Amino acid sequence: MSLIELKDISRRYGDGDQAVQALYPLDLSIEAGQFTAILGTSGSGKSTLMNILGLLDPPSTGAYWLDGRNVAGLDDNQISEIRNRKIGIVFQSFNLFSHFNILENVCVPMRFAGMPKKAMRDRAGHLLDKMGLGNRLTHRPTQLSGGQCQRVAIARALANNPPVLLADEPTGNLDEKTGQAVIQIFHELVSAHCSVIMITHNPEYEQEVHRAIVLHDGRVTRS
Amino acid sequence: MNFLHTLEMTVQNLACHAFRSILASLGVVLGVGAVIAMLAVSEGARGDSLKRIQTLGVDNIIIRSILTGPNGKSGDSAGKSGLDSYGITTRDLEHISSCFENVRHAVPVRHLHKTIYTNGRSTDLKLMGTTPEFLDVSRSTIAGSRGRWLTDQDSESLSLVCVLGTEAAQQLFGATDPLGKSISAGGFSFRVVGVLANRQGAQMDASSPLENIVYIHYATAKALFGNFLMSPESHRLIQVAADYVYVSVKETSQLPDTVARLRAYLGATHDTEDWMLLVPLELLQQQQATQRMFTIVTGAIAGISLLVGGIGIMNIMLANIYERTKEIGTLRALGGKKRTILLNFMLESMALTGCGGVLGLLLGFVIASLIERYAGMQTIVSPLSVAAALVVSVLTGLIFGSYPAWKAASLNPIEALRR
Ligand SMILES: Nc1ncnc2c1ncn2[C@@H]1O[C@H](COP(=O)(O)OP(=O)(O)OP(=O)(O)O)[C@@H](O)[C@H]1O
Ligand SMILES: [Mg+2]
Repeated sequence: MSLIELKDISRRYGDGDQAVQALYPLDLSIEAGQFTAILGTSGSGKSTLMNILGLLDPPSTGAYWLDGRNVAGLDDNQISEIRNRKIGIVFQSFNLFSHFNILENVCVPMRFAGMPKKAMRDRAGHLLDKMGLGNRLTHRPTQLSGGQCQRVAIARALANNPPVLLADEPTGNLDEKTGQAVIQIFHELVSAHCSVIMITHNPEYEQEVHRAIVLHDGRVTRS
Repeated sequence: MNFLHTLEMTVQNLACHAFRSILASLGVVLGVGAVIAMLAVSEGARGDSLKRIQTLGVDNIIIRSILTGPNGKSGDSAGKSGLDSYGITTRDLEHISSCFENVRHAVPVRHLHKTIYTNGRSTDLKLMGTTPEFLDVSRSTIAGSRGRWLTDQDSESLSLVCVLGTEAAQQLFGATDPLGKSISAGGFSFRVVGVLANRQGAQMDASSPLENIVYIHYATAKALFGNFLMSPESHRLIQVAADYVYVSVKETSQLPDTVARLRAYLGATHDTEDWMLLVPLELLQQQQATQRMFTIVTGAIAGISLLVGGIGIMNIMLANIYERTKEIGTLRALGGKKRTILLNFMLESMALTGCGGVLGLLLGFVIASLIERYAGMQTIVSPLSVAAALVVSVLTGLIFGSYPAWKAASLNPIEALRR
């Protein structure tokens, strides 16, 4: 079985006249260590798919196996634990906690996992060091550039060493060069057997990835 | 996520909004401060008046003779004769001692209106005649080991001895030992045989603390000075068997009944209201009723101010959560559980009101000491009111923080992230 298995997954928002079929039933499997891009025009359902993959939003129909476990029917606590340990999420606008310094930001998922304080701070420092921010640990996110913030966010997403990293337009707020640096980090993760799934508008990144899934009006047109 | 982690995040959160946090908890600060100060005043007042009442003895009844004045019946008839005859009579004393089975002693105290001299120097100390039971009934003691109190032998042998109150001894003889010295009053000379101490500071009336009086035996006084005395104020003769009667009872539980019977007896036998009953137990009960009233009012003020403070906290927490919706969504996306979010915000509001409580406590201390200093009222901040203030302020945070925290915890992660 693959790392991620979707079967007949669909998502419909609202009901009656207002109903929007954001995703039509789709099957999808993604392997460990695969670098995947999701492409498509605006409103095609990319974020909808990503939220389902990230266990932030339940699908209307279908079944989802993550790392061999069927996640349907799990309660909120169990879902939260899986989010915490199996999935790292990177946002377009970084979503860092502005009142924490970057070391504390990276610590948050490990706190949720109940990691001992010393081990937690060591690992956070190590991750930030790998992102080239080892000398900025006590800085607040507001004191950093966009590219640096996104690297902090990636470090935070990797805190509990998840097998899946999800990124919704991670380069959307960055210039060409910094965006490229983020893609480079993703390449390294992929070679370390992490499965990276990235939404992007930039067709150039199609050359960078193992696999491109293209959505159009809620349907997969290429995968 | 364990509790300590949550607490740590809460403290970090509050610290970065320090000013706003203080403003938010201001209602609780003022509420707790006012309550602490009021409780301190009431506690102080209670300590004061309770002590004063208790020095009279809760199993005593004190009867006071009152000169009813020119409008009173006895004053009227006496106007022509130049004699004021009023108050408790010898017959009353005998009747109370013999016919009231719950009465242990009825101890007369008679003000003798004589100026007291030592070495030719006059003082304004009062000379009073009383019986040997007075020492016990007034809860006084004899100071030192060599002195003694008045005995019935003193009157039988007509020995001219007296006992000085501690203060009176101080005024008359200063630091020197008064025992064996003599004083003169009303043309007689009395040898000092003892010094009376009343550590509670009891007083017969506002101008007569027990320790400021010179005591001689009641019967001796009658033998020396007779039934009629010249009042130095009105220059009229007065006839009164006892200015005060200390009635001590056998059964305290029967005291209200004895009081009722005394009232009935005195009411029936006296034409005018030339007597007054002072019942420390009744005063105590009145005091307690007043105290209860004060406590209820204080409690209501506490309740209202904490309600207002609590609503303030709820308001600020709701605003806080609205402002931090995206942050909450992010926390959830990173694996935060509902209960973690709930605990986070509950702790935050409890920390807010708890700090407010501590500040309020300090404010209360300050107000209480200002009142003590500038209004001259005694104040006591009891450990119980301190503990109550802290517990109640944290509870306020718990109660008024729970709805906002619940709201935060039940936010949909995706919708929260979209903000
Ligand atoms: N909560 C919602 N309620 C109703 N409709 C929604 C909701 N969320 C998304 N949709 C609709 O679902 C469709 C897919 O939205 P989605 O956000 O997945 O698009 P997207 O591919 O991520 O677009 P973009 O590139 O602009 O981010 C859109 O038509 C959108 O209007
Ligand atoms: Mg989108």
